[in-house]
Amino acid sequence: MSVLATTDLTRRFGAIIALDRLTMDLPSAGVIGLVGPNGSGKSTLIRILLGLIKPTGGSASVLGSSISSPQTYTSRVGVLVESPAFIGSLSPRANLVSLARLRGVPLERVDAVLAQVGLIGRDREPVKRFSLGMKQRLGIAAALLSDPDLLILDEPTNGLDPAGIVEIRELLRQLGRAGRTVIVSSHQLSEIEAVCDHLVIVRFGELIFSGPMSEVLKRTREHIDIAAEHDEATQPLLDALVADGWTVSASDGGLRVVAGASRAADLNRAATAAGVTLSRLAVGQDNLEEIFLAMTGRVDGELTRDRHLTDVEVA
Amino acid sequence: MLAVVRSELTRLGQPRLLAIWFGLMALFAAMINTIMVTFVSGGGSLPPGAPGVAFPTLAAMESPSGLMAGLAAASSLFGVVTLSFWAVATAGDYYSSGLIRLLVAAEPRRWRLLAGKIIALLLVTAVATTVAAVVNIAVAMPAAGAAGISTAAWGTDLGEVVGTAWINLYLALAVWGVLGLVIAVLARSAAAAISIGVGYLLVVESMIKLVGGAPSDWLLGTTLNAVASGGTAAIAYGTAVALAVAYVTLGLLLAGIVFVRRDVTD
Repeated sequence: MSVLATTDLTRRFGAIIALDRLTMDLPSAGVIGLVGPNGSGKSTLIRILLGLIKPTGGSASVLGSSISSPQTYTSRVGVLVESPAFIGSLSPRANLVSLARLRGVPLERVDAVLAQVGLIGRDREPVKRFSLGMKQRLGIAAALLSDPDLLILDEPTNGLDPAGIVEIRELLRQLGRAGRTVIVSSHQLSEIEAVCDHLVIVRFGELIFSGPMSEVLKRTREHIDIAAEHDEATQPLLDALVADGWTVSASDGGLRVVAGASRAADLNRAATAAGVTLSRLAVGQDNLEEIFLAMTGRVDGELTRDRHLTDVEVA
Repeated sequence: MLAVVRSELTRLGQPRLLAIWFGLMALFAAMINTIMVTFVSGGGSLPPGAPGVAFPTLAAMESPSGLMAGLAAASSLFGVVTLSFWAVATAGDYYSSGLIRLLVAAEPRRWRLLAGKIIALLLVTAVATTVAAVVNIAVAMPAAGAAGISTAAWGTDLGEVVGTAWINLYLALAVWGVLGLVIAVLARSAAAAISIGVGYLLVVESMIKLVGGAPSDWLLGTTLNAVASGGTAAIAYGTAVALAVAYVTLGLLLAGIVFVRRDVTD
């Protein structure tokens, strides 16, 4: 059974199209990464699934139930939408108790989730004294409160220190292995790459990719980063390599050549033949971030967001 | 529904918020009694349209109901306090921090959230009314004695006098509170709701009253003051209650429709 299915899901905000006939079908169980540039429609999609806003067109279902009746599935869904939101003058425990009562969850779960996110011992202080990372932990605790089948977490590691990030990463993996489905929306692609089994990429409200993480990572290419001994030799080296048939682009302080490790010696010889001595030669592989940028573009999504309703209507 | 009410009561259990609310109710009850007896015993009368308060005559003060006259006299001040705290409890942390997202995601039947909040706030308002009534009784007796007002009749029908005053004030405050909630839902801001509420009472309604010949008996503050007083010369109790119910129904209808249908984008 799919955990989440959308068919032609569309949402317009005036002239802006936030979701553009989005159709996808996500598998249940495992950790699913939802990524896209700013303004790509991720938050709009999450808000529609939670019943916070209504779609302009199309349909969707969550855990097999239509989004037109969110009350049929919200008890099985835990959420952390954007920044964690609580009443600052109340303690984490009181905030969670109020949510537990609202959701009809036994109050014993409050202790369980506080322990799960490491907040036992700090659970009676006012939330307003908490750092962003502590609030983030509390937000995750709130999402886990109903022991949900589906967790939707927007930037779950936002504000956490490195140890906290590792801890939450492991928690997400555990939840995925335990048969729950966790949808993680994040800009930190290294996080997504580290924990997700499945990846969804959206851009301008349209689906760019949906499939196993392994399938995306197959698109990685090996490359060799090189640097000339003297900066002024970089441009002549680039010209010489391009003339020699290499695929080369400027990179941080040097050049990036699309080639595998087996061609490193050839590349070094080509540089020598061009009269340039290399001070650096390192073999590497594209990561998810580079694949993502290749698929979605290298400019902030909101800055390039010029697809207004009129454009689509004309089309 | 009980779950929603209990959840809301937990969120309302903020010691500072309740201390300020109940503290202001106690302060106004004490203050108005002190000022009122001094003013009434001196034979003073308020100018028409004086904002916020309506003092009784000396004869009314010396009647059995004089003991609780302070509650009715300051009902508009209590009303503004109540409106403000209902607005804070409705929009304070909810829209500014995004808590409303969490709540609607947990309980998508939004009318339940709204109804649960109203019931919870009505319960806390009952406590606030009781605080005002207790302080009123505690202060009225020594203040009247010091001002030379006869309190001989104050023990007559004590239970009925106190009970009626409490119920009338509670009804008026419930309407004030609901209106604070309505404005807060529409404005999605506690500060905006308080500004509009207080601005209306202290500026708009007073100005309307000051305009000679303008009909003002149906105005909100006048109506609710009549409810709190058990009826006035200008407006009968039954009419005042009916008008108050009409205000509440209209406001709740508007807020309910907006709250249920509006996108939660905060």
